[in-house]
Amino acid sequence: MIYGDKNTGVIVQGATGRQGAFHIDLMNRYSESVGGKGVVAGVTPGKGGQEIHGVPVYNSVREALLEHDASVSVLFVPGFAAGDSIMEAAYNGLELVVAITEHIPVHDTMRAISYAGLEGCSVIGPNCPGTMSPGELKLGIMPAQLAMRGNVGVISRSGTLTYEVVNELSRAEIGQSTIVGIGGDPVIGETFVNVLERFEKDPETKAVVLIGEVGGNLEEEGASFSNLPLVTYIAGVSAPPEKRMGHAGAIVAGGEGDAGSKIRRLESIGITVAEKPSDIPVLVREIL
Amino acid sequence: MKLLEYEAKDIFKKYGIPVAEGLVVKKTDDPGINVCNLGDEVVIKAQVDVGGRGKAGGVVICSAGEAQDRIREMFVRDIKGIPVETILVEEKLPITDEYYVSITLDRSKKAPVILFSAEGGVDIEETAKKNPDALRRVRVSPMLDDIPDFMMREMLRDSPKELSAVVKSLYRVFCKSDATLAEINPLVTTEKGVYAADAKIIVDDNALNRQGISVNRDLTERERLAEELGFSYVELEGSIGVIGNGAGLTMSTLDMIEYYGGKAANFLDVGGGADRARVCSAVKLVAGMEGVEVIVVNLLGGITRCDEVAAGIVEAGVPQKVVVRLAGTNEAEGKRILSEKGYQMLDSMEEVVKFAVGEVA
Repeated sequence: MIYGDKNTGVIVQGATGRQGAFHIDLMNRYSESVGGKGVVAGVTPGKGGQEIHGVPVYNSVREALLEHDASVSVLFVPGFAAGDSIMEAAYNGLELVVAITEHIPVHDTMRAISYAGLEGCSVIGPNCPGTMSPGELKLGIMPAQLAMRGNVGVISRSGTLTYEVVNELSRAEIGQSTIVGIGGDPVIGETFVNVLERFEKDPETKAVVLIGEVGGNLEEEGASFSNLPLVTYIAGVSAPPEKRMGHAGAIVAGGEGDAGSKIRRLESIGITVAEKPSDIPVLVREIL
Repeated sequence: MKLLEYEAKDIFKKYGIPVAEGLVVKKTDDPGINVCNLGDEVVIKAQVDVGGRGKAGGVVICSAGEAQDRIREMFVRDIKGIPVETILVEEKLPITDEYYVSITLDRSKKAPVILFSAEGGVDIEETAKKNPDALRRVRVSPMLDDIPDFMMREMLRDSPKELSAVVKSLYRVFCKSDATLAEINPLVTTEKGVYAADAKIIVDDNALNRQGISVNRDLTERERLAEELGFSYVELEGSIGVIGNGAGLTMSTLDMIEYYGGKAANFLDVGGGADRARVCSAVKLVAGMEGVEVIVVNLLGGITRCDEVAAGIVEAGVPQKVVVRLAGTNEAEGKRILSEKGYQMLDSMEEVVKFAVGEVA
């Protein structure tokens, strides 16, 4: 539990859209199943007064917080307005924004994250599946049925690949403490470094699986900081240069960030790199 | 999306960055263009998006009298395989010195970073390798809308102070144009003042709309069609078509294909929550590519429902063999639909990939 537990109150910004409404329902079904507090309010400017799956909707974060106790926002606001919404959450004193939204202009992301930092608010994402601590808290869109409570932390830049790895771990009876999808955009709030720092302080987490991909050097930066035992996997060994592989961040440009050199740098600092996702459970057992 | 030099220079002009006097000539224009007002000597530059344009013959210096012939010649050839549709003809600047400046994203610091070098006009990556000290870097807080003066002094040091105004304007271009890269190489000094002799801007694909750009030119026609359908799609050169959900899982599927000795024809991420119609068009799109012999579908249902996926695959009914891995929401129903129609299904990403590689071997 590095971002909250059963008692964490959650609001959803962008509550009345298709995705927002759908995931309020799923998040609250999960919180009911574990006896948690879940999503207490939704926010969509101009749509206040409605109810989404029994959750009241307000026009602003400020109005929602007058009536409800919450410390986290999960954000489904469309890309063009998402930067503004992140800042609204931070301004109103929320501790964490989980930005699920895809296609936020990167200049908006940079400014919003920088502003949130001034207000002491952390941002997961954007363009991420969110985070969950099995048995406690689900923030975002991860399919909860694949996860199982345990001692391995999972950090990933990807959505479905995380589910693939979590699925492999659970099938091998290796449970997870917290799973964090940090997002596939070039600029993101919580990086591998930040999440690893949180895992180091978390008594539940004994080892970490770090799932990276081509582009940038955030994986190496993170791995070199960690004192916890790590297994990594890097997707995109076959990615051609200069082509964007789905994620805006997954681009091999100017020879930096290609999977091959990333893997060599990780191995040179003594980190185990799995060749295939299916090798991960075996390698985790070896370091646990 | 990458802007061409003349488009980037149009933006520069709006922000007060001096550029050489020039004329834009399209292939469809009257070839009898008059370039006399650009001076005795002119530079003819092909507007194509390729690195090493000059070495490939895309930049020609000639007298104003020869210009028409040179322009005609350039329109009938191509530069590294790319046909020339537009040419920029410019006055030849009497260059004294050449500098390099660019602004891009520092992903790990989540902020713009400015790179400056007093050794411009050359391959900057070479400079960075050979003489790292020649390349100065300063980071700017994304909350600032101007570069502080002290930073300019730190960066320029002994270089002419006149460069400062251009660098500051370039920072405004970077912010206001939603750029992920704004570069001037070379930035030149002349007796008449400072000029951006070349210009490069890459606009954030997520901001094309608000920048008034309706079509992303960097995509092939098929890639554009895929984007309209809501897919992420990249064309490659192999014979195994790939459809997955989620960028990471799809990328990993491609890696598995390479690991087992195959070659992927494409990358196609159908995105979250794909329904029957989207899956159907994805399968048809990939099947329509030349040289695709077998198609791997690797879907992990969360929001995506396996029964919808299965129905979409059946509806597409493409001639190539389709091998499927389905797991997650409504998995049983999805598998029933596919097995009734005799589709090959396997339980893991690894198995489908091995099977597909075997098919084309």
